[in-house]
Amino acid sequence: MTSLRTEGITKEFPGVKALDHVDFELAKGEIHALVGENGAGKSTLVKLLAGVYKPSSGRFFINEKEMSFSSPRDSAPYLGVVHQERELVPFYSGTQNLFLGQEISKLGILGKAAMRRKAVDFMKAYGLELDMDSPVSHLGSGMQEMLTILKILFRSPEILVFDEPTAPLSVKECEILFKLIRDLKSEGRSIIYISHHLPEVLQLADRITVLRNGKRVTTVEADTVNEADIIKLMIAKDLSQQYPKTALEPGGEVIKVEPFRNNKIAQRYFRLRASVSPMRGFSIHAKEIVGFAGLVGSGRSELARQIFEGKSPGMYRVTLSGNSFVPKNPKDSISKGIVMIPEDRRGEGLVTSFDVGENLALPRLSLLSNMGFRNEKKIQKRSRQIIDDLTIKVFSPAQRVSTLSGGNQQKVALGKWLDADAKVWIFDEPTQGIDVETKSEIYVIMEKLASRGAGVWFISSDLRELEAIADRILVMHESEIVGEFKRPFQTERILEVMLGNQEKEEVRA
Amino acid sequence: MSIKKVMTKYGTLIALGVIFLLFSVGVQGFFDSNNIINILTQIALLMIIAQGFTMAHIVGEMDLSFANLASLASVVVAGLIIKGMNPMLAVLLCLAGGSLFGFINGSLVTRVGIPSLITTLATGIVANGLIYMYTGGVSFYSGLPKGFLYLGRGRIGPVPVLVLIMLGVLLICHIFVNKTTAGSNLQATGGNAAAARLAGINTRFYKMLGFVLCSFAATFAGILLTSRLGAANPEGAGGFLMESFAIVLLGQTVFTVGRPSPIGTFVGALIIGVLNNGLTLLGAQYFVQDIVKGLIIILAVVVSSIQTKRMGV
Repeated sequence: MTSLRTEGITKEFPGVKALDHVDFELAKGEIHALVGENGAGKSTLVKLLAGVYKPSSGRFFINEKEMSFSSPRDSAPYLGVVHQERELVPFYSGTQNLFLGQEISKLGILGKAAMRRKAVDFMKAYGLELDMDSPVSHLGSGMQEMLTILKILFRSPEILVFDEPTAPLSVKECEILFKLIRDLKSEGRSIIYISHHLPEVLQLADRITVLRNGKRVTTVEADTVNEADIIKLMIAKDLSQQYPKTALEPGGEVIKVEPFRNNKIAQRYFRLRASVSPMRGFSIHAKEIVGFAGLVGSGRSELARQIFEGKSPGMYRVTLSGNSFVPKNPKDSISKGIVMIPEDRRGEGLVTSFDVGENLALPRLSLLSNMGFRNEKKIQKRSRQIIDDLTIKVFSPAQRVSTLSGGNQQKVALGKWLDADAKVWIFDEPTQGIDVETKSEIYVIMEKLASRGAGVWFISSDLRELEAIADRILVMHESEIVGEFKRPFQTERILEVMLGNQEKEEVRA
Repeated sequence: MSIKKVMTKYGTLIALGVIFLLFSVGVQGFFDSNNIINILTQIALLMIIAQGFTMAHIVGEMDLSFANLASLASVVVAGLIIKGMNPMLAVLLCLAGGSLFGFINGSLVTRVGIPSLITTLATGIVANGLIYMYTGGVSFYSGLPKGFLYLGRGRIGPVPVLVLIMLGVLLICHIFVNKTTAGSNLQATGGNAAAARLAGINTRFYKMLGFVLCSFAATFAGILLTSRLGAANPEGAGGFLMESFAIVLLGQTVFTVGRPSPIGTFVGALIIGVLNNGLTLLGAQYFVQDIVKGLIIILAVVVSSIQTKRMGV
């Protein structure tokens, strides 16, 4: 008996196929794990099933009945999704959250006692001990997660999806969760389990489906494979043949970052902010592209932003081309020769209400004006130059950036810095959501920048592109730099360090 | 498609033209040089104060305090002059005080982090309190020198000085916003503060500037109000708050959709001015004007949000 089945399900975003003709099958009463690298399509698949997105093509069936949901509200009776973001009302109690939207009432008066009794019974039935009376914001993150799961169970969907559920949990809470999941299975519910943590997956799942680049690679029985097998399936073929890398002789250090932990002020600052700072430092040389690999939330962007925006003074000792540099704010960093192309293109990289020309001129206006008045001629000339150099596809600089494709928007976001003569270029996920063709153009731009003598700081969740483009790869895990790799790269090794498998196992054992 | 584009860009302007034509044909005494000058005089103060609010709106902030500030400036400048202060000095003092008021608004928003709506609601109430503290609730209505009254009542040839001041303010604001780097940075800050900051723009400074310019313009308008009326009363400029909102919102539908602009605000002021004038000449009662104005604001906001959505901003 299958409880859920997809048939050639496909989701296209402008320029990218996030999911490409995936056939997936979930048997009744099984725990089916979905694994794959970031961007492999796991979350997209779940979002399609939950009605967050509509499939571009393909169909899916629940209990052999074709389904089509237009919102998560539609799908809730069939399919419950446990996200990392908890959907709880923080100042409501556990009971109130459980009954949210389906409160028991008589003549409009809430039946509080009845609800509490029911909630407690329901909780106990699953062998849980949770505080159902305090506001959930007072509970620990593990308790909140359990409550979230309970809330979803309370709507008794037949299919449950767990998306990275163990990330916020302690070892003990993990065990409770695993037991709960097994109980749910023996109740006859079907479970989709998504995790980066492979030992956990192997321990829990009946079957494992591997996704890569939006395609289903294979589905295997969990007890016939080991971790190494799965990792091999997750990684695609070498990209380095597709993007020929020209190796350059690296020059002197352009930026050097050292942690500054023995400083008393810095230490106090840590405690105050619970901020992140790696134990290990690093440096980037001229003509070098340094990749920063790691999972989402491993602290790669945070590290870059702390240096660029000067958010945590006293935490690092930064040396820029041999001179000491104290990060203050973006304006100052830019004037000292650091530029950043942020991950959130529309939110932070561009002023979407502006046209292309205005966006390109934004950071360089003071140089493109006389006595405070814009020099339109210079601005126009420069815009056209950048548009030609990067082959940005626009009718004219007066076109609004919001009408461009993701790839062209990214070119505008980075094009505005092209003549800034920066020593350090920080690219944060520059190719996310971009079509393949533009991706390789962006690699070419990065290589060109490096050949001009800049150091490129390249953050990406796509390990293959890092391996193709970077000269060195630094791996971050839980806000620490935990590994450094040189060419030729050993993908499996990097991936293992990325997943932080070694340490985590020790902790959890 | 091209008709759609023309309507998106020039729709509001066309609406102004249509209203103007209808009144010209249908209302006696409307299309008359004296009446046109009359309309411009009527909207002058509103346009000046709304230019200030346009600046605050460009940086993406709200200001609810400027009308009270204008009233405050109006009574303080009158009080100071009547007590014998040199009018020039009194005016400069008020403008400085008004700018300081804007600086305080800006500081509370950018440094302390209170949302501008709440900040300016509160400082507006404080300004109102200051008005009554200063006046004791009494109006000033005599003793203003001729030289000072010339600003609001004088004419150069057939054209009132006030209208010339308004056009001057419009010109300066337009050049400032569209031709200077500071103006571009002001717009970028309002368009996307995060992106502007990462591009090396001091967004705090530009937010501050938006508030200071708003308060400065309000103070200036308050002074001109006293000069025009030859008197100052505690709530003299209170009505400018809603009317300024109306015309700035209307202005956002002109040319650059979804973005406030000085010229747009001027067009908005003209629409309101022409409607007020035409309806009065038609003999419509005062409440009809309010109802029409309210409906037009709703229409403007609906049009602007539809246009903005279509452009995918």
